[in-house]
Amino acid sequence: MIRGVIIMNDKGKPRLVKFYEFQPVEKQQELIRSIYKILCSRADNVSNFVKADSIFGPDARLVYKTFATLYFVFIFDASENELAVLDLMQVLVETLDKCFSNVCELDVVFNFKKVHTILDEIILGGQVIETSSTEVVKAVEEISKLENKSNSIISSIPGWQR
Amino acid sequence: MEQLKTIGRELAMGSQGGIGQSKEFLDLIKSIGEARSKAEEERIVKREIETLKGRLSSPNSTKYKLKEYLIRLLYVEMLGHDASFGYIHAVKMTHDENLLLKRTGYLAVTLFLNDDHDLIILIVNTIQKDLKSDNFLVVCAALNAVCKLINEETIPAVLTQVVELLDHHKEAVRKKAVMALHRFYQKSPGSVSHLISNFRKKLCDNDPGVMGASLCPLFELITNDVDMYKDLVASFVNILKQVAERKLPKSYDYHQMPAPFIQIKLLKILAVLGNNDKKTSEQMYTIVGDIMKKCDTASNIGNAILYECICCISSLYPSPKLLEAAADAVSKFLRCDSHNLKYLGIDALSQLIKIGPEIAEQHQLAVIDCLEDPDDSLKRKTFELLYKMTKSSNVEVIVDRMIDYMISINDNHYKTEIASRCVELAEQFASSNQWFILTMNKVFEHAGDLVNVKVAHNLMKLIAEGFGEDDDAAELRSFAVESYLRIMGEPKLPSVFLQVICWVLGEYGTADGKHSASYITGKLSDMAEAHSADDTVRAYAVSALMKIYAFEIAAGRPVEVLPECQSLIGEMLASHSTDLQQRAYELQAVLSINAHTVKEILPMDSTHNEIEIDGNLSFLDGYVKKSLEKGAQPYIPASERSGAFNISSFKPHEDHESTSHGLRFEAYELPKLPQPATIPQVLPASMDLIPVPESSYVSDISLPSAPVPYSSDAGPAELKLRLDGVQKKWGRPTFSSPSPSTVNSEVKVQAEAPQLSSVSDSNSKSRSTMSYDSRKTQVEISPEKQKLAASLFGGVSSKSEGRHPSGQRPSKSQYQLSDKHRVAKAAAPDSAPVKPSKPPPDLLDLGEPSVASVTPSFDPFKQLEGLLDLSHEAPPVNGSTATQAPDFMSLFSDMSLSAPPTDSTSDPFSNMGVENGKTASQMESPVSSKGLNLKEALQKDALVRQMGVTPSGQNPNLFMDLLG
Repeated sequence: MIRGVIIMNDKGKPRLVKFYEFQPVEKQQELIRSIYKILCSRADNVSNFVKADSIFGPDARLVYKTFATLYFVFIFDASENELAVLDLMQVLVETLDKCFSNVCELDVVFNFKKVHTILDEIILGGQVIETSSTEVVKAVEEISKLENKSNSIISSIPGWQR
Repeated sequence: MEQLKTIGRELAMGSQGGIGQSKEFLDLIKSIGEARSKAEEERIVKREIETLKGRLSSPNSTKYKLKEYLIRLLYVEMLGHDASFGYIHAVKMTHDENLLLKRTGYLAVTLFLNDDHDLIILIVNTIQKDLKSDNFLVVCAALNAVCKLINEETIPAVLTQVVELLDHHKEAVRKKAVMALHRFYQKSPGSVSHLISNFRKKLCDNDPGVMGASLCPLFELITNDVDMYKDLVASFVNILKQVAERKLPKSYDYHQMPAPFIQIKLLKILAVLGNNDKKTSEQMYTIVGDIMKKCDTASNIGNAILYECICCISSLYPSPKLLEAAADAVSKFLRCDSHNLKYLGIDALSQLIKIGPEIAEQHQLAVIDCLEDPDDSLKRKTFELLYKMTKSSNVEVIVDRMIDYMISINDNHYKTEIASRCVELAEQFASSNQWFILTMNKVFEHAGDLVNVKVAHNLMKLIAEGFGEDDDAAELRSFAVESYLRIMGEPKLPSVFLQVICWVLGEYGTADGKHSASYITGKLSDMAEAHSADDTVRAYAVSALMKIYAFEIAAGRPVEVLPECQSLIGEMLASHSTDLQQRAYELQAVLSINAHTVKEILPMDSTHNEIEIDGNLSFLDGYVKKSLEKGAQPYIPASERSGAFNISSFKPHEDHESTSHGLRFEAYELPKLPQPATIPQVLPASMDLIPVPESSYVSDISLPSAPVPYSSDAGPAELKLRLDGVQKKWGRPTFSSPSPSTVNSEVKVQAEAPQLSSVSDSNSKSRSTMSYDSRKTQVEISPEKQKLAASLFGGVSSKSEGRHPSGQRPSKSQYQLSDKHRVAKAAAPDSAPVKPSKPPPDLLDLGEPSVASVTPSFDPFKQLEGLLDLSHEAPPVNGSTATQAPDFMSLFSDMSLSAPPTDSTSDPFSNMGVENGKTASQMESPVSSKGLNLKEALQKDALVRQMGVTPSGQNPNLFMDLLG
């Protein structure tokens, strides 16, 4: 299963953190730091795979990829295939790109609720449920539409405005 | 420029406002981004937390504002600050009717809360309600929360609803319901065991997304219990076929590959289902072959599928055709420039060699390249591969490379792992004593404080046992002594290593007569001096001194205590550590007693002595009877007694040890106290019992009693300790068998353990961190393990490898042996029939220079060059040697072993894979091997090797010793 998804910038600041098994806040920070340390030590032009058993216990693997200023990191165990996870990451980024048109770090920061929505459509409870980015985009758009609709009802009620 | 862009973007965002992004949030992020120090960031976040605290609890905040605050709170927590004060607001928000707010609430609680948080109880009700909602998005949000927040106790509250949702009209809901049910299964398999059939049903869902989702739980279920799902093989194959033939909607295509993720999952499932099952595997051959052909190797995802196919093939019952295709694919991976593909290629190769070890040969050069690669991940993967293919012919090269790498890295976790692997391989396959000792020295020097102490004890044991023949043992010991004398002066040696050195010097320092006692004792006291902070090392040093003096006394030579030793002893007599004190006093006591007694209490080389133990404690019968007649309490078995026993009549210092050791020794303590006068006669037995961390018992007996003359006839027969029916001291609560002979043999293993055991050592054991587990576990080797060892190493009786009788192999290697290592390791004993005592003069071994093994090179390149030269030299040497014939034999047996062990239930002639013998005995006689084509192949291969050419014909015979 997938143990966690982390998006952080090249300074090590987390932009999106999602662990599929509960981790207390301090532990999360520690994990993020040790992951960042590993990522920094990786040269360019090397593989995207790292064995993460020293951080996450036996058999844990980590796949990372940089997109512009962001590191995307997936942590998972033997039941996933490294190369496929790399492509899953690609699916996520493609979806983000479709949703934000030319996604950048700030989109992730300001819309991290939406990024969570997207991620929830792709991975649920540590398992991959959807791998087609068009399907994900469709679902996410439907959600936003309905959210907005309900939102406009709020706005129309006096006293409920922002 | 980049900055300008960013600012422009921010402005755009700011003006846009987005949904829920207020100016304040923007400012917060901006100021955090601009913070120059961690402290400044901390201050900003603290201020934000204060603001949020006030606003969240303020009644004036609108719901919409609340939502924004909650998102800011999430952000703050992501940065590592405690946001628990706002959890309740997140919970409240889940109750809201508005979809946006509800979803935000659910998102917040799934990120904030653990599944056993107190607030969960407030959410369960909402979840129940939302699961029934007409709005499928509400249902989805609730299902998301279910996956994260429901635990074993709350599963029943939502289970029925989740199951109903499996048939929801929206596929998004069905998909998530499948996952929720899967999650329940993971958290508490028992609570959903009756619902598992639903996963099978969902496999036939109309929507490919739901079908794909159902593969996740099915994969897990199948991994847990393969046999239950064999009936699904046809369905899986069918689905895979449809996917490969592009029957799924176009939207599932990814980079021109049809639903690649579903294909990968299916291949994983097939690999599990077809493992070791010929009939099932045969159903899959066609489709797996087809998929391999269809893979687009230009794209990432195509290669991912290809890799999964290779993994699948190496797990299925071997099919020569597929194996060949897999080998081709591996070589494509390895030839790629992409590190990712090389990485997967190495990984795939290490899986493939399980069933076709010869495949590795074709890739010698590529593997060496990966070893030299700057990419650390790739290097580690390659070391894993090498570890799996180690055998006696290549162990030196591989382990030396591993050590070089180990020295070069800083990552302690990995250093530990690789160090223990080096030790494991060296113990298993080492061919020369010198090499073995030097290798262990290097491992200890560089990773001594990282490796398990068991490893050190194992080393002592191995040196004591001497691996078989006496000459060999003596040579090993004197070599160890020499190398330790050389190395012991170096600074910063790990404590564990120093302990080993002390022990070996004490035990064997003067054994070969090369060094005088005063030289060794001088060295030892120097060492104790240099490590005055390390009490354990000092304790070992003192005990070593005592042993050397004792041996001198016993040999009738005058003992001359060097002034520095004298002062050391004096210092220790006044030590704060009672353990050191006791050792020092004991040493003094030994110095003052006569030669005959010393010989009895500290016999030379006593680690080999057999002990006879009277498990029934029959020598106490008279005493017990007498006591009972006097009205004493009868013996209470260990299991029925608690602390009461200890109170009885023991000396005060008994107390500390009874708490410090984990095992129960009461059964042994019982006889000792009442009869101090007769106990001296038990000495030989008690000596050897000492390895068990049972301190004062032994020292009590032996020391005070030492002066009492030992009467040899009184001994074994009546004074034996009987262990029948008594809980064994070392190990799990099993009971020793009543037959005296088996007791003896078990104890013998124990007795061979280092004589660290010598009387005075015992006391420290409970205190020091050292454990004797290694020896303990050894005694407990279960029949299954022995069977495994037999099948792996050619049986207990065969003296394979010249080193370890398999039955006594270090336990570590036994539990680490899993299927995947089987092949590599099974290759070890193959040469046994040829020359049992010495490692076989393998063709390739001949080529290895003894120089390299004495001073293992640190420079990988140099070593490689050496290899190059050697392999060129090798062929002529082989051709002209008299040992040629045995070499051939060993090669044959080597080859026959190289095929994977399978349960060859079927016709042995059908293919090579089938041939693999099940037992070592079969393998030992290659002439009798059944498969015709195998035999032919072997002959051909041997011939080719003799010519000095690799069978593949592609590569020069460069790294034969590494990969042959």
